[in-house]
Amino acid sequence: MIKVENLHFRYPSASAPPALDGLSLEVPTGSLYGLLGPNGSGKTTLLSLLSGILSPPLGAIWVDGMDLSLHLAAVQARSALVPQDLAFYPRLSVQENLEFFAGVGGLSGTAASARVDEALRLAALLPNRHQRAERCSGGLKRRLNIAIGLLRRPALLLLDEPTVGIDPQSRHFIMQSVRDLHAAGTTVVYASHYMEEVAELCDTVGVLDKGSLLAQGSLEQLLAVEPGRKKARTLEDLFLRLTRTALRD
Amino acid sequence: MGPLSQLVRKEWLLLRRDGHALLLLFLMPTVFILIMSLALRGLFAGRSQVALSCIWLDQDHSPESAELEGRVRAHPEFKVQAVSGPEQELREGIRAGKAQFLVLVPHGFGRALEGRRPLPLRLVAAPSLEPVLLKLFDASLREAAARTYLKVALRRLTKALGGDAALPGPGLDAMQGLVASPSFEGSAPDSTPSAVQQNVPAWLIFAMFFIAIPLSNTWVQERAQGTYARLLSLGLPRWKLLLGKLLPYMVVNLLQTGLMLAVGVWLVPVLGGDALALGAAPAALALMALAVSFAAVSYALLVANLARSSEQATILTGVTNLLLAVLGGVMVPRFIMPPTLRALGAWSPMAWALEGFLDVFLRHGGLAQVAPRVLLLAGFGCLSLGAAALLFRRHQGG
Repeated sequence: MIKVENLHFRYPSASAPPALDGLSLEVPTGSLYGLLGPNGSGKTTLLSLLSGILSPPLGAIWVDGMDLSLHLAAVQARSALVPQDLAFYPRLSVQENLEFFAGVGGLSGTAASARVDEALRLAALLPNRHQRAERCSGGLKRRLNIAIGLLRRPALLLLDEPTVGIDPQSRHFIMQSVRDLHAAGTTVVYASHYMEEVAELCDTVGVLDKGSLLAQGSLEQLLAVEPGRKKARTLEDLFLRLTRTALRD
Repeated sequence: MGPLSQLVRKEWLLLRRDGHALLLLFLMPTVFILIMSLALRGLFAGRSQVALSCIWLDQDHSPESAELEGRVRAHPEFKVQAVSGPEQELREGIRAGKAQFLVLVPHGFGRALEGRRPLPLRLVAAPSLEPVLLKLFDASLREAAARTYLKVALRRLTKALGGDAALPGPGLDAMQGLVASPSFEGSAPDSTPSAVQQNVPAWLIFAMFFIAIPLSNTWVQERAQGTYARLLSLGLPRWKLLLGKLLPYMVVNLLQTGLMLAVGVWLVPVLGGDALALGAAPAALALMALAVSFAAVSYALLVANLARSSEQATILTGVTNLLLAVLGGVMVPRFIMPPTLRALGAWSPMAWALEGFLDVFLRHGGLAQVAPRVLLLAGFGCLSLGAAALLFRRHQGG
């Protein structure tokens, strides 16, 4: 289980408000947790903190009972971050990228080769393994981005907007892959702007804005009628009601 | 392979596939070395011990004119070619650059030395000649003529004093001993480089520092694309990421060194220039190459971490490298700079690098001579690398 308690974070160069402002939430082990929030709400910052890239000045994170600040290496060994950007090397081939990230991730020899083959198969990239990443389509690039995250068979997968800018077929494939990973026991935190994806995939949803958690629960719980308020018909309806309609930067 | 070897291998693959970077790092300095070494050969020759060429037209053919020619020929810096022919044709030859000077000894020169009014020699210089060289040659010619005149005058005086008796005191040849042979204070007499000695290390250093362009661009892209975030999330420490750039790019710098030295030693002479002499201290040369490379790549990492975009990185690298190169004597040799600029240039790491290489190539320096430059470059590299690490930490959080 992931437990986040009173998390604060502010970027050093920004004069803007804090990225996270006393955030607390819980993600049960084995769940598929949807993280919703407008631009600048703190989703990517939270994922960076959960993956140990950033460390919070205030607050605490526990992953499977381990305090992240004390057991960073152990937590990093069982988790994987798939960044929103295409975080690989365009001039390397699909396979070279996977081999590189397997190598720097501590895999070597036949174990590394086996994991590379497995990731290629899971992301349906086998026919494109020798293609330069820069020459791949948007969908292939997204699949490669995820495949790299699967190399170490993580128990916790942190996905940041994994379906941005791709065709419906690739989106369908990625969503099915996430379902399969979840079914196999992986805990998934799925940050997205796409309400329908989150509604379809996730068993728990958290709505984040201005660095704080506004609501958390199953879709049914979130859409349930609050006393004295009109029932939200869809997740998007609820999201706009919680975060307001004002445009964000 | 461990993570560090993977990082190095990845960098190597990326560089091999970046044609533009390879052209910038290897072809650009090669072309600069060839052009500058050949084009500036004459200019540098004027400052070194290469002979000044002179056409000698003796219209007198007297013992005195022969003696005068012999005295001028005795100067190791002058290459005298005796010719005959119409004066106008020889003047055109000077204008066309066939020689730097024409000396015309007029008919009756020897006999006139005995009289009251000597016949003057005529000296014509090439239009492109530096005035200082003209003054040097003119002074030497006047000295030779004066000694020839004195010899004739002494002969006449001896004769007037009564036959064959020699004059008391030192002879004419003792004039040479009136001024002791000149010496340089603190450095060897051949410390001014030739064109190839100046241009090979200068453009090599420039190319080594220019590695900041491909390095900073890949660094900025990796940071912007979230690749570093991903690598850090795998538990890779920041120092390994920095080292993963430092090592392969230092290898590239050493390959540049090998290629540029080979160009200086073998290719420049094939094209008509002087061959580069590498000196007699390969260990000092290797140490200098390593120190320059460490400084250049560390500086590149600092620029990469200062810049927020590839465009910024390119501009920052281009401008600062050009500035350091101009001040450091890469583009204009420091020995012809005015004192203020020369003092300012002493702060450029490219100047430390260039002087270090010249210590080895020109002044026959060894490890002890290059040690101060190596320490300066290593200090600059450590400061740059430290600042880069701090900025990396700040950019990437944690």
